[in-house]
Amino acid sequence: MTIGFGIVELVSIIMFFFSYYAIIVSRNMIKSIIFMSIMEVSVVMFWLSIGFNGNIVPPILQSMEGHSIENIGDPLTQGLMITAIVIGLSVTAVNTIMFLTLYRKYKTTDWDIVKKRQMAG
Amino acid sequence: MINILYIMLFLWMLSGVLVLIEKKVLSMIIWFFIFSLVGAFAFFLLGSPDVAMAEAAIGAFSTIVFIVCFEKFFKLRDIIQIKAEEEEIKKENKIKRFIIPCIFVLILGSMFIYFLPPETTNSYLKELYITRFMSDIGGENAVTSIYLGYRLYDTLFEALMLVIAVVAITHMSYTDKIQIKEGERSEIEKSNIANLLLRALAPMAILFGIYVIANGFLTAGGGFQGGLAIASFFICRFLIYDVYDLDMKKINKLEELVFILIVVVAAVTVFQGTLYLFPEQYTAMTRNIYLIFMNALVGLKVACGFIILFYRYVAIERN
Repeated sequence: MTIGFGIVELVSIIMFFFSYYAIIVSRNMIKSIIFMSIMEVSVVMFWLSIGFNGNIVPPILQSMEGHSIENIGDPLTQGLMITAIVIGLSVTAVNTIMFLTLYRKYKTTDWDIVKKRQMAG
Repeated sequence: MINILYIMLFLWMLSGVLVLIEKKVLSMIIWFFIFSLVGAFAFFLLGSPDVAMAEAAIGAFSTIVFIVCFEKFFKLRDIIQIKAEEEEIKKENKIKRFIIPCIFVLILGSMFIYFLPPETTNSYLKELYITRFMSDIGGENAVTSIYLGYRLYDTLFEALMLVIAVVAITHMSYTDKIQIKEGERSEIEKSNIANLLLRALAPMAILFGIYVIANGFLTAGGGFQGGLAIASFFICRFLIYDVYDLDMKKINKLEELVFILIVVVAAVTVFQGTLYLFPEQYTAMTRNIYLIFMNALVGLKVACGFIILFYRYVAIERN
């Protein structure tokens, strides 16, 4: 491909910006929280798909014997992505707890109504 | 193989779009679960079984968290609130609400694609890691060797983030009562088939967790994935018996102790240069014992953290 990246990367970039748009537009807080998770999954997909050429084997000794270096997955990216996934779940958990606290106070799941009631005091 | 990957990517995008279109909360959560599972399968096809395992476990866990948290919003539609406020908000300009964010995101995305570096990447570090990890760190799985050897500090900060999340949730939850009253049950009706299936599968989960932790240095797997499997055993236990009898304070203490132990072992390993500065002093046996021990510690820590998160959510939801 002449653009410089493959179709998997393109799809993950589109998903990332789509979820960004969804977070801006949606009025439902639950939807915003779910789309934060979707954003995180697409970031992981983007990093894993760098250097993908259609035939990649995992960087484990049993499976990578006899393959050239271009066909082995990048172990550094994968190790960091495991960390990123676990941190993403912590972020989701903190998000949900903040949502529950907000619901307790304002009795609604709508961003705009929360804003109105905050203004009203 | 590549065709399956494209089908998976199509399903992935479709389920992501359906989350936005969907109005009911439960359907949104189910579509998110499908999104995570399809994503995990795509990760596997992209050549990273470790990340795929972690993603599948995390997708299931966050679905459970969402269902427990949003149980009381299942009957609500997307926008059912007080009518007067509703009418007033609806009068707002559509252009301001939908078109301007769309243009903004499109400009941002096209800038991102335009400034993406060209395809020629430098694979120096990758070659170094792949050719040397077995003599430097040990084990046969390059990913485990990286997050327990070369990049140990990243694992440390990941564990710290989990501790901070648990502390934040314990402090931000609005109730002081952690204990659930006797006889208080969930409003969701219990299904006999699901109960039987959980009873059959729960012991398998803990066995699988121990297997994944112990074999993490040889094949795909490791501390995070095994810890999540062990935590899922305790979630199954709660779902079967519906009792709240674990002492959260003891588990919290255990988690903190394991975290301190991880920091101490990591500091000793890094500052001594134990693993890769003096490779000739350490046999393959020592290296394997170190990897299994660290994997077990990380797994215990992750399991404790997620058990606390789940039980805390249940306590909040029931109170």
